[in-house]
Amino acid sequence: MSTLLTYISVTNGNIKRSSLEVLSRCNELAAEHGFQSAALIISDQTSEAAEKLKLHGPDAIYTMEDPIFKNHINAPLLKALSASIEQINPQLVAFASTESSKDILGALAANQNAPALADVSEFELTDNGVKAKRPVMASKIISAVEAKGSPVLLTVRSGSYDVAESSSDASVETISFSFDEADLKATLKEIIGATGDKIDLSEAQTVIAAGRGVKDDEGLKMIDDLASVLSAGVGASRALTESGVYDPSLQIGQTGKVVSPQLYIGIGISGAIQHVAGMINSKVIVAINKDPDAPIFDIADYGIVGDLYKVLPPFIDELKKMKSEK
Amino acid sequence: MKIYVCIKQVPDVNAPLQIKDGELIQDADRNILNAYDASAVEESLVLKEAHGGEIEVVLIGPEKAKETIRKALAMGADKATHILIDNDTAPDSYSFASTLSAFFKDKEYEYIFCGKQAQDTDAGLTGSMLAEFLNLPYTTNAVGLNLEGNVLTVKRQGDGGQEIIELPSPALVTCSNDMNEPRIPNLKGIMQSKRKPVETLSLADLGVEISEDQIKTRILSFEEKPARKPGKKYEGEPDEIAREIAQLLDTKENVI
Ligand SMILES: Cc1cc2nc3c(=O)[nH]c(=O)nc-3n(C[C@H](O)[C@H](O)[C@H](O)COP(=O)(O)OP(=O)(O)OC[C@H]3O[C@@H](n4cnc5c(N)ncnc54)[C@H](O)[C@@H]3O)c2cc1C
Ligand SMILES: Nc1ncnc2c1ncn2[C@@H]1O[C@H](COP(=O)(O)O)[C@@H](O)[C@H]1O
Repeated sequence: MSTLLTYISVTNGNIKRSSLEVLSRCNELAAEHGFQSAALIISDQTSEAAEKLKLHGPDAIYTMEDPIFKNHINAPLLKALSASIEQINPQLVAFASTESSKDILGALAANQNAPALADVSEFELTDNGVKAKRPVMASKIISAVEAKGSPVLLTVRSGSYDVAESSSDASVETISFSFDEADLKATLKEIIGATGDKIDLSEAQTVIAAGRGVKDDEGLKMIDDLASVLSAGVGASRALTESGVYDPSLQIGQTGKVVSPQLYIGIGISGAIQHVAGMINSKVIVAINKDPDAPIFDIADYGIVGDLYKVLPPFIDELKKMKSEK
Repeated sequence: MKIYVCIKQVPDVNAPLQIKDGELIQDADRNILNAYDASAVEESLVLKEAHGGEIEVVLIGPEKAKETIRKALAMGADKATHILIDNDTAPDSYSFASTLSAFFKDKEYEYIFCGKQAQDTDAGLTGSMLAEFLNLPYTTNAVGLNLEGNVLTVKRQGDGGQEIIELPSPALVTCSNDMNEPRIPNLKGIMQSKRKPVETLSLADLGVEISEDQIKTRILSFEEKPARKPGKKYEGEPDEIAREIAQLLDTKENVI
């Protein structure tokens, strides 16, 4: 039977929500076509994640466990994925779009002589491959694309599908793996600025984004206060990651991350297309900008024309009051 | 030291565009050097300035893409190879990468730099495909580089933090535009670029064919993005607006 395989991204035993979105879509497609939906976990610890996965309905769960997978290193991951594909023989391998999956997608496609589609926002099966939609031209337009062959490899933008719950009694099958560290040509020395237990931007339900209009510590403090009232993830425009005010991993946009929260609040951000590319799929967009002609107002549901230093204090106050009454 | 930089000519995403019957209509005069490739060229020039060596850019594209090659040469690259294709060939990343791998097969080099993605399609596939075809260690999404002796230390933007990775040579790196601010060619650079060698190769010279059935992924059509309904702009007393919107986000939108 044909298999649709979802790669499940796991860090410190936690499954990335965007992986569950992809799995939910594959479950749906598998049911439609009478195929099997399988999930693959490649990590340093897999058992806990495999148990949690059973709440999301795959027909089969495969795990591959090795300490080398604690941090992202492309060579062993590639080897692991190639071995899994050879064993499972899927028709489709779908990943949540992350920096790690984007790092290996092309190489895996070359290795498997397979078609690859990066960062799709929708996908469906055809007789001999996949049809999908991808935002292009800095997300100004959509291109409908087609991939022919097997397996089709693709990464899916976060927020493209809803996570469905449906318990399954899938068996967990272990795929053996060995990797000689001496074969590692590239070495991972360290990871800096790891965000640890901070809120993961690409999964946050509320995102506060700061731009060049946030000029000093006072402004940054307001951003922090607002984020803590709303339990929000904090991101930034390129203006503030470039100048070192925020960590580069917090950049939202074409170069940075794609976010798709319920609520996005852009503060002192003009709304350049490359920034908008990363947040246009937010459910509710609020913008605070003192320039009434700022392009961000073209896409904001609530546009506040005003000085952020004057708007934020009463805004935060009001939100605090509302929260304390809940 | 020899560094090759793979560069692509792309339409300027800031230029107006139109979709007619599923086709994308753009001003062909608004093509540019992919911003991420400009960062790759810049980084190679910085390495050359510190360690010596030769920088060669490689581009697959139609005749018109020569202007983009000139741009990279004017920035300071030493020479170029132009792999010429027809205007109406529409290769995907896989065909670009396999063509490039045919070109690199018998070349010697320390590093190949690519952009992390093409600015128009955001595919981000060609670099790591090429690395795999050439069996090179690689890293993508580099935001910083440092070369000491023959160890290249790359800072890559990963999911959580920045991964510091050491690469031997030869190796391939794909560059983010977060890496540097590409230099703008000056007049001297522009004058000199006209005398720099550009070798033109055909696909046949490389023994490559990009035929319909080899292209694994293709664009079927372009579509408008569903537009967001324009919202409301609030101007006036900051105090009042702020409180009003906080209330609306709670009671009307239910997102607080
Ligand atoms: C290939 C490429 C990729 C890129 N990728 C990204 C990306 O991933 N993410 C990204 O963000 N950018 C990206 N950019 C850069 C992007 O084009 C813009 O330059 C950037 O987003 C601008 O950031 P900004 O809005 O903070 O700054 P600006 O454009 O300078 O806007 C600042 C805004 O703040 C407002 N303001 C100032 N003071 C106040 C105040 N006191 N109160 C209220 N408002 C105030 C101003 O009116 C202005 O609108 C990319 C560019 C390129 C070429
Ligand atoms: N036609 C091409 N000629 C030379 N290099 C290319 C070409 N297409 C892609 N590349 C390289 O591959 C990178 C990623 O491209 P893409 O996979 O299209 O996003 C680009 O930034 C270039 O460095």
